[in-house]
Amino acid sequence: MSSPLRIAREALATIAGNKLRFFMMITAIFIGIASLTVVICISQGTKQRVMMLVSRHGLDALMIRPGSGKKAGAPGGDRSIVSLSEDDARAIEASVRNVLRVAPVQNQRGMDVKYKERSIATTVFGVTTAWAEVRGFGAAEGAFISAEDMMLSSRVCLLGRTARESLFGDADPVGQTIRIRNVAFIVKGVLVEKGASASGKDRDDRIVIPLSTASKRLFAQTYLNQIVVQARDVRAIQETAKDIRALLRERHGLRPGAIDDFSIREPKELADMASGTSATLTALLLAMAGISMLVGGLVIMNIMLISVSERRAEIGLRRAVGARKRDITRQMLIECLSVALAGGLLGVLFGVGITTVLSLAGIAASKAGWLPFAVSVVCCSAIAIAFGIYPAKKAASIDPIAALRS
Amino acid sequence: MIEVQGLEKTYSTGSVTTPVLKDINFRINEGEYVAIMGTSGTGKSTLMNILGCLDKPTGGNYWLDDADVGSLGDDALSHLRNRKIGFVFQQFHLLERATAMRNMMLPLIYVDEYPEDAEKMAEKALAAVGLADRRQYRPNELSGGQQQRVAIARALITDPEIILADEPTGALDRKSGLEVMAIFKKLHRQGRTIILVTHDRAVAEHAQRIIVLDDGKIAEDGAAGKQRDPDVELDTLGAVEDEK
Repeated sequence: MSSPLRIAREALATIAGNKLRFFMMITAIFIGIASLTVVICISQGTKQRVMMLVSRHGLDALMIRPGSGKKAGAPGGDRSIVSLSEDDARAIEASVRNVLRVAPVQNQRGMDVKYKERSIATTVFGVTTAWAEVRGFGAAEGAFISAEDMMLSSRVCLLGRTARESLFGDADPVGQTIRIRNVAFIVKGVLVEKGASASGKDRDDRIVIPLSTASKRLFAQTYLNQIVVQARDVRAIQETAKDIRALLRERHGLRPGAIDDFSIREPKELADMASGTSATLTALLLAMAGISMLVGGLVIMNIMLISVSERRAEIGLRRAVGARKRDITRQMLIECLSVALAGGLLGVLFGVGITTVLSLAGIAASKAGWLPFAVSVVCCSAIAIAFGIYPAKKAASIDPIAALRS
Repeated sequence: MIEVQGLEKTYSTGSVTTPVLKDINFRINEGEYVAIMGTSGTGKSTLMNILGCLDKPTGGNYWLDDADVGSLGDDALSHLRNRKIGFVFQQFHLLERATAMRNMMLPLIYVDEYPEDAEKMAEKALAAVGLADRRQYRPNELSGGQQQRVAIARALITDPEIILADEPTGALDRKSGLEVMAIFKKLHRQGRTIILVTHDRAVAEHAQRIIVLDDGKIAEDGAAGKQRDPDVELDTLGAVEDEK
């Protein structure tokens, strides 16, 4: 058995022999760690929930359109309308940081669509497979556009709910043939329902086809009407927008001073939602948890000092039989550390229990995981060492002669 | 093996200096049984602390097996106390919450290399003091004499050359005291050096040689007139008790 292990055994034996005292020390740490755990779990759970909402509502995406500014007919003219290309989309995906997916899009409004005797006018979108993920617009029935469809420029399509009802009513459209501007397309699926957009437009009034098909067979256009970029980390989306802008300006050969021939729209609200306001609350709660841990540390130091003064004779004896100063220091620190970690473990378990109750009662979202345990271990160890070192050093410097005289 | 030359110890607090030991000179050879005697205030405790490497002299030299103790650092002194010296105190100083076995093995915690046959060594030491059947008892379950015997076993565990006993019978009744002295006699017969520190002449006379301190200096240093024999005295005591 090695020397530190023997010392550790002595420390544990001492704790076992003084259960009440060390139980008090455990309690001191327990409260601080329990509240810290609750803060961590709730803030993580809230973050997770916000991310989910952000993704579901497409708030993690940047919309890039050709043409400068928001007004139609802005200076830049014809050239700017054709400024976005598929190569631009590929470049963004390849070289911009924080980009998860890129969806290049072509679209035209007022397309003539017929099924048997019914006919509607709707917007047709030429999209890639990634579009479903980026826009959260997957197939509710049937299947979405595949890479093979893209490669073969197949004449397949998916219908939005409104388009589907107008053309097919309640009947199953999958596998049927419709004609878009007199070109035959097979219905591959139906898109999920989205309802009205913020500006009141009916988002279900649309049909999507593969981008390659749109480009070659239907629209006969090579330029893009949109590029939608999905960010990996929503909080850095403004940075990402800046990076994209710089990249496109370079690719389009725009000199400094020249206005952009494209516009990037970012969802502003999400920046606050994802990180802003809740950060203040989290900081406040963390401060509270920190203070209670500080108090816990002081309690530990106090109890250790009392313990040391009561164990003077014992410490003197250990020195007399050959303990070095550092053997004494080590034993005290291990006692402190064991107790702090025990209190931390109980605190985390209790904190996780509380947050589980809170989330079941619907009061707060919570996510337990390895993080509270890791934080607890680090904090407890730090507290034990920071507040235990003074009593430990004091114990080591006890004069054995004086201590044994009593 | 123990050589003390011109040894001095002076305490100074602020501007007040108190000399406790003045010019002490003696030599103790391996295997001697020596008593250091003196009334309180004569410096015998101070001398004992220095001999036991708990304290350092402020003047002169103390050589323990050719090591100059005065020049050693704290860790080196701890090492000496662990391996070369076994303490026995008047107040026993056992750990209240530990068994006799654990109390005995305390010095082994601080050795550099833990011996493989530690358990065996402990058994031997316990047997040497006659407490083999009490190893799981706690101090509060043992009589004073038994507690002191545990303390002696603890002093023996690292097989030190020197046993340093400070008023070992001071807290014991006559019979237990004699039993303890009998153990010392046995240990001495086995070749260990025993140094006894006491104010009681009757106890000092168990040793072969008595060094008397007076006012920090050596007043006498020589063989005891008639060395007492604890075994004989125990028999006498037993006979007296039988008669009662």
